[in-house]
Order: sequence, then structure tokens, then C-alpha cells
Amino acid sequence: MTGDHPLIRLERLSKAFGPIYANREITLDIHAGKIKSLLGENGAGKSTLMGMLAGRLHPDGGRILIDGRPRLFGSARDAIDEGIGMVYQHFMLVEAMTVAENIFLGHAGGLRLKTEEMERQVADLARDVRLDIDPAARVATLSMGEKQRVEILKLLFRRNRVLIFDEPTAVLTPQEAQQLFEALRRMARQGKAIVFISHKLDEVMALSDEIAVLRKGEIVADMPAAEVQTKEDLARLMVGRAVILQVKRQPQETRQTVLRVQGLNDKPLKDIRLTVRQGEILGLVGVAGNGQKPLVETICGLRRPQTGQVRLMGKDWSHFHSDRRWDGNLSYIPEDRQSLATCRYLSLTDNFLLTTRQGFCRGPWLQRGKAEKRLRELIQDFDIQPPDPRAEARQLSGGNLQKMVLAREFFRRPRLIVAEQPTQGLDIAATEDVWQVLLKARERAGILLVTGDLAEALSLSDRLAVMFNGRIVDTFEADNQSKIDRIGLLMAGVTDQPAEPAPVHVT
Amino acid sequence: MFTLSAYKRQEPRPWSSCLIVFAAVVISLAVSALMLKLQGKPALHGIELLFQGALGSRWSIEDCLIKAIPIFLCSLGVAIAFRLQIWNIGAEGQFALGAIGATWAALTFSDQPGYIVLPLMFGTAFLGGGLWGLIPALLKLKMRANEIIVTLMLNYIAILFLDYLVYGRWKDPGSFGFPMTKAFSVSAIVPKIGATDVNWGLVLCLVSGVVMYVFFRFTRMGFELKVAGENLNATRYAGLPYVKLVCVVMIFSGALAGWAGLIEASATINRLQPSIMVGYGYTAIVVAWLARLNPLTIGIASFLLAALRVGVENLQLELQVPAAFGGIMEGMILLTVLAGSFFNEFGFRFRRPS
Repeated sequence: MTGDHPLIRLERLSKAFGPIYANREITLDIHAGKIKSLLGENGAGKSTLMGMLAGRLHPDGGRILIDGRPRLFGSARDAIDEGIGMVYQHFMLVEAMTVAENIFLGHAGGLRLKTEEMERQVADLARDVRLDIDPAARVATLSMGEKQRVEILKLLFRRNRVLIFDEPTAVLTPQEAQQLFEALRRMARQGKAIVFISHKLDEVMALSDEIAVLRKGEIVADMPAAEVQTKEDLARLMVGRAVILQVKRQPQETRQTVLRVQGLNDKPLKDIRLTVRQGEILGLVGVAGNGQKPLVETICGLRRPQTGQVRLMGKDWSHFHSDRRWDGNLSYIPEDRQSLATCRYLSLTDNFLLTTRQGFCRGPWLQRGKAEKRLRELIQDFDIQPPDPRAEARQLSGGNLQKMVLAREFFRRPRLIVAEQPTQGLDIAATEDVWQVLLKARERAGILLVTGDLAEALSLSDRLAVMFNGRIVDTFEADNQSKIDRIGLLMAGVTDQPAEPAPVHVT
Repeated sequence: MFTLSAYKRQEPRPWSSCLIVFAAVVISLAVSALMLKLQGKPALHGIELLFQGALGSRWSIEDCLIKAIPIFLCSLGVAIAFRLQIWNIGAEGQFALGAIGATWAALTFSDQPGYIVLPLMFGTAFLGGGLWGLIPALLKLKMRANEIIVTLMLNYIAILFLDYLVYGRWKDPGSFGFPMTKAFSVSAIVPKIGATDVNWGLVLCLVSGVVMYVFFRFTRMGFELKVAGENLNATRYAGLPYVKLVCVVMIFSGALAGWAGLIEASATINRLQPSIMVGYGYTAIVVAWLARLNPLTIGIASFLLAALRVGVENLQLELQVPAAFGGIMEGMILLTVLAGSFFNEFGFRFRRPS
């Protein structure tokens, strides 16, 4: 439909933060009735671009045309009035309210609202677009996929013409993602313009009508999806060089058990049992929020187990954590690298010393000079930017900060590694590096890899455990193809057993 | 039409914080002059009297130094607690308990020579102030009691306890009924430096400041404190002994205030009496904030606020302004500096709406 004028045209849009251009002269058309994917690595400038479109950021240059007329957004409110809505990665919902109340929030006309009337309207709308939801349900009780539907209904209810989705599949099971895609196609057919932001190549290929690729703040390609031949082409455009996202995994002899969890029943966990031996990677997969976080925090000493048994390196939990050696022991690579694994306002040297300080002590004195020397070597090995031990942690990009955490934690020569979403937010090249490093570490350590990224789990793991609703629903070897085919169902809580026996809780 | 909009600076300008403090002081002085004017006093002459009183002669400068010593010690103590994000506003009470501890040793061992009684006094003042600081720490850790409230309440308890002692058990029989202890024996008085009026407490300040700097910069525990003050999550992540850190910090925080009480009782008043409580512990909080918890700038700010006290005394004598005037100025300087720190982090620009 090249004859149509676009619903929205971005013309030579630029935005700089300090001396760095996040977006440079971006020109992009968004058409009604089409799904436009915006593909790019983290830090490529996708969020900045959409921030300008949603009225949260002011462009330094260029203009936004809506229906051919230039518009200036002073605030997010202006963009909403123009019918541009966004579904963020972190949902903007009031947990204590019902679905219908959330949808009417900040939008209702009169003083008094009738609950039945609101719920009826929401139910009608949901039926029209076939987004199945109970309007009277409290948001807190909904799954991530359902919450996302509420967000979408919110936008549709406001008669938004442009719907922007920022990495919407990150929190969904594969089945939920499929349902979302169907809904997106349906909405496009009804004349909405859909913008789909992602760095997942398969999704973009499967869903889009048009694909624009953003690299280092500039549009490097903008084409109909039909013109894209292979995934590799797209990856090359996105990264700027050829990439092979594959690692070779040699089988490794497993040795000593370094982690054993038995009968852990702390809320919300249910009868968790797992073991990790030196020489293997156990991939713990599941949709975020199904109990992975409390399990990891318990293992790593942030949360005291109230039930069952957690043994690390053959010692029980309290013994192990009360007297923790800094090296040859446990390394925890948390998902939250910005506020858990590092301190924003401290130098890299200080951040390096955070978990290695016992190795750089003489009496009460801290040997900062020695630590800085070691860190310089690590910065070289891991190619951390900027290569300055005195830089503050907040000056590092997400990927470099993660490399810094990895460098520090591997420096401790751990025998047990708990890695939580280790490549989230990393670009493809950095992801490759991290995978290689983890596989190498497997030679002497047991690794518990907690990830929501199935591709990552399948590439790295020797065994897989699937977590749903606080329970490990299944554990199997990584070569068990029939189980792997059903992994999506397992993540959604569908198991073979017709009825699960209630867990016996003995106190 | 132009609109004014604020934006966050990427990097704070290094020289701007000096400028801001200077501007804040000037604004405070201007407002003070205005207040004098409103009371029908000569405004410019008043400001002149303020400066003259504080810095006009050798004696007045010595007086400033003498007052700066307890403020500095209290402020240093407050600052180490603040660095750990423990809001100890109980320096006043810890100061009182330090003075009480020192007085006990001074009265009990009054016939001993100085090299015995003075170290004993430093020990008991340390214990008094330190334990008074430890109480809120334990209540916070064990019962999650808010340390702001507990330290504040303990101030009143400490002051009443001091009153109880000087009105009762420790009252000097020869004081004609005035609430005060006997004067300390010469051996229990911290001596003066050479021919000046300034006591050796000044050197104690210097040493404590340097020790604090070295401790935070070069020791493992100093590093751990820095992390724990920066980020509680990372503290748990790295397995730092948070409970121990809080206790140690509150003991030293209280002990420094306690030593300030010792210096004040021993060197300045030579006895214990209720008038020892002149609010140094509260001024110390202002100083710690103004100085952004840095030992060197705490030194400068302590001297300035001591000078303000001395200057306002002169103003009171000459122009009969109320005593509260000093407190008002102190508060005004703090508020203007805090408000001014906004300009450190944000810049402004005009925008013309298109």
C-alpha cells in the first residue's frame, strides 16, 4: 500500500545525550494496518526513538508528522491525545484494582461510575478483539500474559491508532507469545498501526509486515518483511558483522555434588529438590516470577531457608554462609547487576573488591593498589569499556557492567556458579563471549543457569529443570528431545500427571 | 514567551559547589540584615558587628576555635553514622553522657596526677558516649526501632540524667545551691596550648579527622562501611557484616560526641553543670550536612558556625537582639545551602515554544 500516506512519519529525528547521539536523523514511516518491527540491539536507540514518539523525550532535531501534519509533543499526554499508546515492559497497572477499574482509570467522564456498566463495556471490547479476560478480576491475581492483555485493552479503549510494544514477549510463555501475535495481527487488520520492538530475530521474521533495523542510533535498513531472505542477513544488519550464535558443548565428566536442595517449601516455593554437580550446567527455565528468584536468593544466602535442606559444597546452609571463603567457593551472578551486584557510585576497583576483598587484605589494611593491578588485567581480558579502574560503575553500559561482574566472579575461581539471566540486555557479540566463558567455567564448577531465554538454556545446559508456580515440574537431560518439544507446555504448568499429589508438609 | 526548564547535568561542575555555598551564605546574611532592619536596628552595622565579634581580634578568633572543637568532634561522629545512612541525631545526648563519664572519673580520681586521670577520663567519656550511641543501634537492629526517634528521645533522657546528677548526688556542697559539681582538680583539666586560650582538644580534632580519613580510605572495614552506606542490597550480596558495622559505627559516633563533652566540661567550664548543654550536638548535624560528610570541610564548617555563635553573642550585647537570632541564621544557612545544591545537579535553559 505504498500509495497511502503514512499515519505517522518521523523526519530526520535526532536526540543526543551529552556528546553521544542516541538517535541521528531517523526517518521512518508507520502505516495504518501494518505491523512494523523495530529491530536493534540493546543500546541501539530503540527506546529513545519510541520515547520521542510517546512524548516522553524531546527531539533535538527533526519533526514528527501525524496524518501529514507536524506535531510537537510537550508531554506524554499530548501523544496519548494523538492516539499513540505504548505497552511497556514493566506494566503500568494498579495491582489492587480490577481489570475494568484499571482500564477506566484516568479516563472516566462522570463523577460516579457503575461497576456493572464498566465491566460490561470492557467485556464487549475484549470480545470484539478476542482478548479473553475477566473484567472483574483483580489485577494482582492475573498472569503476566493476562496483565499484558489489560494493557492492550487500555490502549484500545482509548481508541489509540498506534500501539507500540516494547519487547512484549520477554515475560510470556511461548504459548502466550503465540496468542499475542494473533492478537497483534487481528488489530492490524482492524486498521491499527502496530510497532513491535524486539531483538529476537525469529519473532520479527514471523510477525512483521515491515522491518526497520536500528544500529548505533541510525536506521541501517527499512524494508518489507518479504524482502528478508534469512535470519542471518537480519542479524548481520543488526550487529554490523556476521554472527554465528552457536557454541560447541563437549560432554564433561561430572564430579562432586556442589549444591543439593531437598524439600524446600518456603512460600512461594513448593517442595523444591535439585542437585548440581561440578562439571555440569543445570538450566532452570520458566517464565519470570514462578519462584526462581526466591530459590536463587535462598541458595545464595540472601534468604534463610525455613524448611527442607540446602547444602552447598557438602555443608549445610547456615554453616556455609556464616563462614564463606572468598575464593574456590560460590559465585552469584544476579540478574540485577546495577543495584545488587555493584554499587553505582563506587569505582570499578571498589566494585571489584566487593566480593574479593578478603583476597586483598593485610591485617586491617586493604591493598587497593594490588587490587587495581589485578583489575587492569581483567579489564583487558574481558575487554571492559571504559578500561579505567577508577571509572564509576554507573558510567558503564549494561553489557560492560555485566562483563565486569563476570570478570570479578570468575576471578574467584568458583566451584558453584549461580547465573541469573546472564546475557539479558547484552548484544549478540557479548552474549557469545558470556556463553563461552560459562562453558569454560563448567570444567571446574557446577553451574545453575536461571534463564527465561530458551535458546540460551538449550545451547548451554546439560540438564534442564522447568519451574512453574513455585514448583520444579520436570527435570530431564538436554538430549531428551520429546521433553524439549513439550517445554513450552511445561512452562505453562501443563504436566503429564492428571492430578498432582498435594505436597506433604512436615514441620 | 519563554519558558524556563531545568535539565539534569551530566557532570556536576567542580567549582560550582564552592560558589553555591558562598552564595548561600551571602543570601543568609542579606536576609539576616533584612530581619535586623525590620526590628528597627541598623542592618549593615549589625552585619559588621557580627564579623567584628567573631573575627575582629585574637581573643575572638580563639573563642571561635574553642567553640569549634566540640562542634567538630560531634560533627565527625554524626558524619560517620550518616555515611552508613544511620541518622544519628543524638550527638547532644552522647555529648552529655561523655561529659558525665569524664566527670565521674575526674571527681573519683581527683587526687591522681594528670597522666592517670586524663586517660581515665577519655576512657569513661568514650564509654559513656559510645554506649549511649549503641542503644539506638541495638534497638534498630533487634526491634527495627527508627533510630531518628530513638536518638532524639535519648537526648532528653541524657539531659535529664545530667540534671539529676548535678542537682543531686554530684552537687557541690559549697555552691550556694547552684546546680554544679565541684571544680575539677588541675590534673583533670585538659591544658591549653602554649600561651593561647585554646586547649589541646584542637589537636584531638586534627588527629581524629586524619584517623577517620585514613580509616575510610585504607582499611577493609572502612571500605565495608562505604559499601554499606552506599547500597544495602550490595551489602547483603557481598555478605558484609552489617550488624557489626552498625554497632561499631554507632559506638564511635557516640564516643566522638562523648569526647566533645569531656573537652567542654574539663577545659572550658572545669566542672559539670547544666549550662554545658548549648546545642553543639544539633549544630553538628548542620555542619555535617554543609560539609557533605567530609572531614576537612567539616573542619571549615565547624569554625564558621562557631564564628557565627561568637559573632551573634557580640550582636546580642551591642544591639540587644534576641539569642534566638543565632539559631535562625544557622537554620537559614543550612536551608539556603541545601536549596542551592539543586543548582549543582541541574542546569537551566530558556526555551521558546514553537
